[in-house]
Amino acid sequence: MTAGRAIFDLAAAVAIVFSGLMVVGRNPVRSVLSLVVAFFGLATCFVLLLAPFIAALQVIVYAGAILVLFLFVLMLLNVGQEQPDRTGRPIQTVLGSAAVLVFAGLLLGMFRGSGAHVPTPADPISPSALGDPAALARLLYSDYLLHFEAVSVLLLAALVGAFVLARPEKVS
Amino acid sequence: MTLPLWVLPVIPLVGFAINGLLGTRLGKSFVTAVGCGAAGLVTLAAYSRLIPFTSGDHSTVIEPAVSWIAVGNLSIDLSFRLDPLSALMLSFVTFVAFLIHIYAIGYMHHESTDAGYARFFAYLNLFLFAMLTLVLAESFPLMFVGWEGVGLCSYLLVGYYFDREYAAAAGRKAFVVNRIGDYGFLLGMFGIFATFGSLNYSEVFKKAAQQPAQFSPALAAICLCLFMGAMGKSAQVPLHVWLPDAMAGPTPVSALIHAATMVTAGVYMVTRCNVLFRLAPEVMLFVAVIGCFTALFAGTIAVAQNDLKKILAYSTISQLGYMFLACGVGAFTVGMFHVMTHACFKGCLFLGAGSVMHAMSDDLDIRHMGGLKAKMPITYWTFLAATLAISGIPPFAGFFSKDAILASSFEAPGLGRLLWFVGLFTAGLTAFYMFRIVSLTFFGQFRGTKEQAHHVHEAPASMTMPLVVLGLLSLVAGWMGLPAVFGEHANVIEPFLAPIISPIAGHDAAHEALPHATEWLLMAVSVAVAASGLYLAYQWYAKQGGRAPARLAASFPGAFALVADKFRIDELYDVLFVRPYAWLARTLWKVVDVLVIDGILNASAFLVELVGDFLRFLQTGNVRNYALTFFLGLIALLLFVVGAS
Amino acid sequence: MIGSIPLSDALLVSGALFSIGIAGALLRRNAIQIFLSIELMMNAANLALIGYGAALGTREGQIIVFFVIAIAAAEAAVGLAIFVALFRHSETIDVNKINLLKW
Repeated sequence: MTAGRAIFDLAAAVAIVFSGLMVVGRNPVRSVLSLVVAFFGLATCFVLLLAPFIAALQVIVYAGAILVLFLFVLMLLNVGQEQPDRTGRPIQTVLGSAAVLVFAGLLLGMFRGSGAHVPTPADPISPSALGDPAALARLLYSDYLLHFEAVSVLLLAALVGAFVLARPEKVS
Repeated sequence: MTLPLWVLPVIPLVGFAINGLLGTRLGKSFVTAVGCGAAGLVTLAAYSRLIPFTSGDHSTVIEPAVSWIAVGNLSIDLSFRLDPLSALMLSFVTFVAFLIHIYAIGYMHHESTDAGYARFFAYLNLFLFAMLTLVLAESFPLMFVGWEGVGLCSYLLVGYYFDREYAAAAGRKAFVVNRIGDYGFLLGMFGIFATFGSLNYSEVFKKAAQQPAQFSPALAAICLCLFMGAMGKSAQVPLHVWLPDAMAGPTPVSALIHAATMVTAGVYMVTRCNVLFRLAPEVMLFVAVIGCFTALFAGTIAVAQNDLKKILAYSTISQLGYMFLACGVGAFTVGMFHVMTHACFKGCLFLGAGSVMHAMSDDLDIRHMGGLKAKMPITYWTFLAATLAISGIPPFAGFFSKDAILASSFEAPGLGRLLWFVGLFTAGLTAFYMFRIVSLTFFGQFRGTKEQAHHVHEAPASMTMPLVVLGLLSLVAGWMGLPAVFGEHANVIEPFLAPIISPIAGHDAAHEALPHATEWLLMAVSVAVAASGLYLAYQWYAKQGGRAPARLAASFPGAFALVADKFRIDELYDVLFVRPYAWLARTLWKVVDVLVIDGILNASAFLVELVGDFLRFLQTGNVRNYALTFFLGLIALLLFVVGAS
Repeated sequence: MIGSIPLSDALLVSGALFSIGIAGALLRRNAIQIFLSIELMMNAANLALIGYGAALGTREGQIIVFFVIAIAAAEAAVGLAIFVALFRHSETIDVNKINLLKW
């Protein structure tokens, strides 16, 4: 096994373990922090998959902004721990678990053998240049300009929406 | 410039439209003018077309109007035909109808509201339209249009007093029984089309006459079906039950429709199709037997009735039986002769009955009458003239036509003699019960209540004038059919109608007339029988006050009750047909419609409700459940895609 | 090190992360943690995209992921705003207890 392979496996393991911790944890703050660690692992995987720029974005935006926002909201609302389920109706849990297991099995079956018949591209880019930010930027501002602008408008809309939704209600 | 034939039915149709749509608003005088004006106008128009016939021009005129139905092999035109037969019918139908329209002015005047008055005259005009279409048609379907039309008008006019349950029921009964006969007529028409490929008179009769052997096998069934239609329309046994009940309508209606015109349509139809019937001798025998039997049957019932109009109704059925007897033995022209004379004297009788009814404040029970001769002379004398005519006393009209029928029956092969005998006996019965009416109504002492006695008066001029005209016709109308004994050319009507009896190739045997001596003997016998009937009725009722017949009736109570109850035919039909049909209708309603059909509908609605009730539990309001459902669907989709590849 | 990660590895990791995310979304009652699980699912998708991009040798995968991250940010903002409004109204974050649309 090459070094890259080993690091990838390690980073992937970290991501998976900490995601698991996030899902089972009681305390919401602990969950958020576990997810942050998982995202770091994921960023490492990105680097090893020849996308360093995206890895950087992942850390800065996802882990650094979005999850921090989560933390802010948690602190703001002073959310307590989740109480155990007292309704006594297990259908959601039972059926949900079963469904997830079936689904995981399906994915496993589907993904195990893939990659064997990946077509080679006609004009291959050298692996080292694949994650070049300048090239990415050029692509972004030429072929994908419309998408870019659209996403910026979306962000504006989200900003306004969040502001309106979270406003305290007017006392008339 | 002759008037086109199609104008004749259209004139009363226009009268119907005007009176029907505007009559209510425009008052009684207007309605009278339009109604009677239309009837008079069409009479004049008809007679203008009949003029060529008087100068010896007996040719047939066919006027094609427009193409009506043209589908595949079937092509029917709206064509009209004027030949001796339809000319004869036209002559008395229009004139008698006109007289009755005049009569109706006085009769209906104080009886109805403006709306009712207009409705009456509108329907009378509509009837005239239908009858003229029937008579003038050149093809079976067009005749059938008229046939159905007169049936419809019969229903409308019999049920004129629609707020009386009895009258409404009588109208329905007339229509339904007619319909049963019409079913036979339709089957006959289908048979004719299938056999001859056409429905025009000229084509059908020509083919039948020229190639009898080819068509005669099918004709027995066809003629039987056609005769079924005639039985319904002309009230022969067993479809006679509607006519007595139809007396619930106003008296002018009874006179016009149920004495003079509509009921004779059956005889007209059989005479028109004489070529077909002559090729089916078994059916002719059947027609003769039914006619004769009906004459006897109705005559016996008439003896035991006490309602004036009912007696006249049974008398009509009986006389129609005579007409069919004539047709059945092959004497079609004689049958038509009797149709014409019957229109005159029966019309007179009914109008007289209407006059009596008015005088008696609508009471028709002859046991309550008596001695009206003094107070109603015109009615009396015309009624007497018509009674003598129907009894067959010379020189009145009925004698010549009835005697001709009996003579034809006498000389007919096979059952002819038997039929003659029964016909003779029935003639005696006819004279008896008719003179019973005269004796009980006009002679002797008045037997009614004080108020009725006070109210008795002669009818107004608008009513007595038609009575007088018809009474005179009852005397003279027979003189156009004098028998051969009075001379070779004495008989006018026989040669007039002869062209409609087309010769059939290889079929007609030479016809030898009766020797004169036999004819005189037959005439004497029938006069003697009629006279004895009159005398017996006079003795029993006028002289002896009815004690003898009462004792006779009392000594056979069961038989008398049966006859008085019209042999309980209506009750029989009720049990055989009406009750099972009502049961069927009720079952179809309660079981099939309510339980099954509604049940299926209600059950499906209930099922939908049930399913909805069950499915609503999916709406838990819990977003986790929704997410789970979402996910399950995703898995299913994934399995499907993976499985498919 | 370069381009030596087989596609199936990347996809397996992605699948595992996605399954964990789905489990969290279905089985937890805390609204925040459901949201976090959804973010995890999105990242699993990102990983798959990057993996394909590397295997196919194109930059499209990275571009898509770029946009996904931006959109995830917008979605997180709005979602949290809704969450805040909800919490203000009902004082609970247990999703089970928010069931006004129940039959």
